[in-house]
Amino acid sequence: MLSATLGGGFVLVVAISTWVLVRVFWGHGPPVAPLQSLSRREAAFVRAAAATIFPAGGAVSPSGGEARIAVHTDRWLVRVEPRVRLLMRLLFFLVEHATLFFPAPGLDGFRRFSSLRPDQREAALEGWRTSRLGPRRLAFQGLRAILTMGYLSHPPVLRELGLAPRKVEPGGPLASEAPIDPRYAETGP
Amino acid sequence: MTGAVRVFADYRGDSVEDADVVVVGSGPGGAVVAKELAEAGHAVVLLEEGPPFTPDDFELDVAISMARTMRESGLRTTLGTVMPTMQAVCLGGGSVVNSAICVRAPEFVLDEWCERYGLRRTTRADLDPHYDAVGDFLGIAPTPEAVLGRRNTLFREGCNALGYSSEPILRNVRDCRGSGECFTGCRARAKQSVDITYVPAALRAGARVLTSARVEQVLVAGGRATGVKGRFVEPFTGRATGSFEVRARAVVLAAGCMATPVLLKKSGDLANRSRQVGENLRFHPGVAITAFFEEEVDPSFGATQGYQSLQFLREGYKLETLWAPPAVLAVRMPGSGHALKNRLARLPRSVVWDAIGSCNRSVGTVRSRRRGFSPRLSWRLDRSDVPILSRALYTLTEIAFAAGARGVTTGVQGVPDEIHSLDAAQVLRNKDFHPADFVTGGNHAFCTTRMHGDSARGVVDEFGRCHDVENLYIADTGVFPQCPSVNPMWTGMALAHRTAASVSDAL
Repeated sequence: MLSATLGGGFVLVVAISTWVLVRVFWGHGPPVAPLQSLSRREAAFVRAAAATIFPAGGAVSPSGGEARIAVHTDRWLVRVEPRVRLLMRLLFFLVEHATLFFPAPGLDGFRRFSSLRPDQREAALEGWRTSRLGPRRLAFQGLRAILTMGYLSHPPVLRELGLAPRKVEPGGPLASEAPIDPRYAETGP
Repeated sequence: MTGAVRVFADYRGDSVEDADVVVVGSGPGGAVVAKELAEAGHAVVLLEEGPPFTPDDFELDVAISMARTMRESGLRTTLGTVMPTMQAVCLGGGSVVNSAICVRAPEFVLDEWCERYGLRRTTRADLDPHYDAVGDFLGIAPTPEAVLGRRNTLFREGCNALGYSSEPILRNVRDCRGSGECFTGCRARAKQSVDITYVPAALRAGARVLTSARVEQVLVAGGRATGVKGRFVEPFTGRATGSFEVRARAVVLAAGCMATPVLLKKSGDLANRSRQVGENLRFHPGVAITAFFEEEVDPSFGATQGYQSLQFLREGYKLETLWAPPAVLAVRMPGSGHALKNRLARLPRSVVWDAIGSCNRSVGTVRSRRRGFSPRLSWRLDRSDVPILSRALYTLTEIAFAAGARGVTTGVQGVPDEIHSLDAAQVLRNKDFHPADFVTGGNHAFCTTRMHGDSARGVVDEFGRCHDVENLYIADTGVFPQCPSVNPMWTGMALAHRTAASVSDAL
């Protein structure tokens, strides 16, 4: 009797462990662009979160994907201090896998964030944003801040908002009269 | 003899220097001390952990800019109440990336300092000559009308409509181009940051300036400071290479109110008989509104922070206009998805105004870590200080509606994402908020090596002299005994100017 119970328990533990491993490590898409710091899994999460926070269409044309937020995040990660990099990675990991334990709506809500449907991702992030728990809200703000850094550094986004930096130089014209900085101009590099 | 700033590429192996005075930190405090002492004829070595920046080095991408110019890549936060706090690591320190706001500490604040901390010579009348000396040298002047931009003039209109006092901000800026880029470094070189003012003056007077030089220990012999030692560190990677030692008759620490206590702790808990090193950490927590108008505002044009109201200082808050890279401003914007995009699309018709709170009951600590030189910061926004922030947000909202705003966001939990009338804003006055409800930022930090007339209760006296160690001085905002209620740079520089005189007298 005891050995049967232990055997059943062992099978259950193996099954749950396998399920968690598959959910955490399998099935991420191929990298879209060569990245220096973000892993394939992290890049998949950043792309998914960016597409949710900055969806296609609407009042500002480029989506999070079009704004190449994952590439920007990768470039940023390379430059930050190792401890900060670790914290950013932990944040990505936390939000990516939280839905394995606190599911998104729907019977298939027990998935990694990046494997969820767009409406489920939206609901999951809304849960973080409006949580009654301060640390959860803070995690959302941190994530959104990281992605917003990428979105609002993308030249087409800044041009569309009329906020592209001007060409500024000592003794030059006032910024309001100066042309857009070449790096942000439509014809720029 | 006029020298040049030495940079990382100049160093070959280890080095030993001798000087009358070694100054640690080239920010507003350290640069003033270095220039004044060099001009008084003393041999000065000025050490800076970060590299120098020229306009070509300034990055417009704010994330990359922060990673290059700020400690902990610009993502340093306090624990307890989680709040971002930025400290620069470059020649010129915070003056390179701040908004150049210059305000003298109000008389009532300095009187309170004197009364509560046993200070006898730190009234406004005592400090005014030092404020004047710094102000004259930097050319501190009111923000000109031509570069106010609509973002600043709308604030003025709102204040006028309500009968609140307001004024153009005094700044250390000459020939401002109104680019609103103070935060990522002034490409127009209009901001008179100390790397292009005080440091060159110190060099002209013969000071030696070493950048990429991280001080790791203050040397002491027989109860007297005798110099410092440290390592040369590669810019942006922090990789340590050769070591250096500077032997001097006096040591001035001006590394900032977070790095200075860490250095003292790492030097064998130096100058800490009072147990006040690293204690009493205070901030001016900042909150902000985004107000949306029907008219085009073009908020990116104009002095970054060009207008202010000092009307509410006694109630604990100061109001200012603000601009920063949109990615930074958007952090406080509520929402996600299309709701967020809708708000971003209205940015050209929006203004951001902020308030800094004099939250003296909210205190924390700076501790050193076993490894490395980054501090461990702990700070809590005290519940009794919360009404200062909510009232400040209400006043900003009031000014915005008086100026014609159609909607206001505060980013505060428990307040509607967007407020469309002053009636709806009453929640800011009536609700009992929790500290975690606010999105705050605290870049003004003080008090971790506070001055006190009683050596048992403070680290330095009012002239910056350490009570416990001879020839050791502190000249950064850590010496403030309380929040100054206004932007701290000018007060820190005035105190540093006075400290330089006391160092010179002692040599």
